[in-house]
Amino acid sequence: MSELKLQSVKKSFGVTTVLQGVTTSFSSGTVTAIVGDNGAGKSTLCKTIAGVYHPDSGKISLDDLSLTHLSPHETREAGIEMIYQDLALAKQHDVVSNLYFGREKTRWPGWLDRKTMSAQSRVVLEQMGIKLPSLRTPIGLLSGGQQQAVAIARALLFSPTVLIMDEPTAALAAREIEHILDLIKKLKERGLIVILISHRLNDVFAVSDRIIALRSGSIVADNLVQETSMQDVVAQIMIA
Amino acid sequence: MFARKFLSDISQASLLQCIVFLTVMSIFFTFNSPVFITQVNIVNILTASAVIGLMGVGATFVIACGSIDLSTAATMALSSVVCAWTAQNLHLSGLAPICIATVAGGLCGLVTGLLINLTRAPSFIITLGMLSINRALAFILTGGIPIYGLEERITSIADATLCGLSFPAAVMLAGMLVGYLLLSRTKFGAHTLLLGDNPGASEAMGLRVARLRLGIFSLAGCFSGLAGFIFMARTNSGDPSAGMNYELVAITAVVLGGANLFGGRATIPGTLAGVLCLGVLQNGLNLMAISTFYQTLFVGLVLVLASFLRRLGPHQ
Ligand SMILES: Nc1ncnc2c1ncn2[C@@H]1O[C@H](COP(=O)(O)OP(=O)(O)OP(=O)(O)O)[C@@H](O)[C@H]1O
Ligand SMILES: [Mg+2]
Repeated sequence: MSELKLQSVKKSFGVTTVLQGVTTSFSSGTVTAIVGDNGAGKSTLCKTIAGVYHPDSGKISLDDLSLTHLSPHETREAGIEMIYQDLALAKQHDVVSNLYFGREKTRWPGWLDRKTMSAQSRVVLEQMGIKLPSLRTPIGLLSGGQQQAVAIARALLFSPTVLIMDEPTAALAAREIEHILDLIKKLKERGLIVILISHRLNDVFAVSDRIIALRSGSIVADNLVQETSMQDVVAQIMIA
Repeated sequence: MFARKFLSDISQASLLQCIVFLTVMSIFFTFNSPVFITQVNIVNILTASAVIGLMGVGATFVIACGSIDLSTAATMALSSVVCAWTAQNLHLSGLAPICIATVAGGLCGLVTGLLINLTRAPSFIITLGMLSINRALAFILTGGIPIYGLEERITSIADATLCGLSFPAAVMLAGMLVGYLLLSRTKFGAHTLLLGDNPGASEAMGLRVARLRLGIFSLAGCFSGLAGFIFMARTNSGDPSAGMNYELVAITAVVLGGANLFGGRATIPGTLAGVLCLGVLQNGLNLMAISTFYQTLFVGLVLVLASFLRRLGPHQ
């Protein structure tokens, strides 16, 4: 059992305060949804956990490990993966390069081991039921849904403890969304800490155990899914 | 595996265009000049391309990572002056002068990288500054007068021939090979290209961007420094005004070779083809006794034509 804890996390960009003291925690085997209006600070909160931003004050920790001042490199080493809203893909690079982005395999004396990377990519994509025309095409030429699938596969490639998904279904068709939701349920059973940001409340209610509503950088509601309803959540998001 | 990767590298559409262009030009010059396709002349072309070629290898890395280096020629001149000065005064010979020039260039690159990391300013601005600074330092060090008449043993290594190639040509080809291996077969090269493709994602995926940038600019500096030694050996002087505007020629070669000027896509075989295009063009026009004014005109036309053809290519 792992626990990801945030204690009064504050973050401003210049004069705009985006997170005004967020305190909460996430535990293994649960899917926590974060909902909120555009600009509520959802992405900023998650990027702060992933080490892209550092909090101005407050603490973040995963069990005994303090994440507060870690870089994205170090948080990834610590088992935290994030699927970014903009997907963070290198569009001129192929699927394999993107899957192993920042974690390339090498063999003696330091040459890239493309053969192994290609072979393992093929296996992983197969396992996840992702079908792509070719692993060699620049990823920018794939469809939005295919790109999203690659971003998801990359996040799962190294078996993370924490998976943060920022709008993972935004570019997907209905059938693909089903697929991702199934996947999230499986990850939950495997005991991952899953954080899901989504505007699609249907998806949120389908997979989440708990729903946090964020408004102007503060948590305004935090309920188990069975204790709340879609109307309540909409109200929490909307009412100022 | 190696051969297959190499073939796929050179079969990129833009590089193929460059090779086709090179072939067409060569055929044209062969018909117009009896000496064009002789071994001596081919070695001449390679020798004359060595300085640009070495700077081009460095420029390929810098462009691949989405930056631009306008200071390569100034670094080259400063390195050659520093090398000439120390070698003359310390009575060095053999490999030592080469090492001094390379290290001097590498240090210039390191400073450039540090400044870009510290200021977070665009590389265009910082390297524009470094262009002035390095060039000025070269003039200040020499009082504006080239260091002429170097002792023979300083540059004697450059008289060597290897496998029928002149020393400059051999060094350039070796530099290209090292650059190729680094860029397309190592993590460092892969990260360089990824950084150029998407800097934000590189940050998020945990690349150590600042350190990587230092490495890239230092490497480019080393190649400029090495070019500085070659320039010094060929002119037998440490000249502070060496290679004015060469930085633009090197960038032209890289872009001709199919690199994306905004980063993410660049290859060393492409740069080699680009360098050879420029070298063959200049050599051929020289053999046909066409004035240098026209040569510059043709370089410009080739670049514009290549950009135009690329728009028709399958990659866009
Ligand atoms: N790097 C940044 N610099 C300055 N301001 C920023 C930065 N990142 C985010 N902001 C600001 O912080 C606020 C919250 O942005 P954030 O992206 O976290 O919202 P969000 O809840 O994810 O919204 P959306 O639903 O549109 O994705 C916005 O007002 C945005 O303008
Ligand atoms: Mg967002």
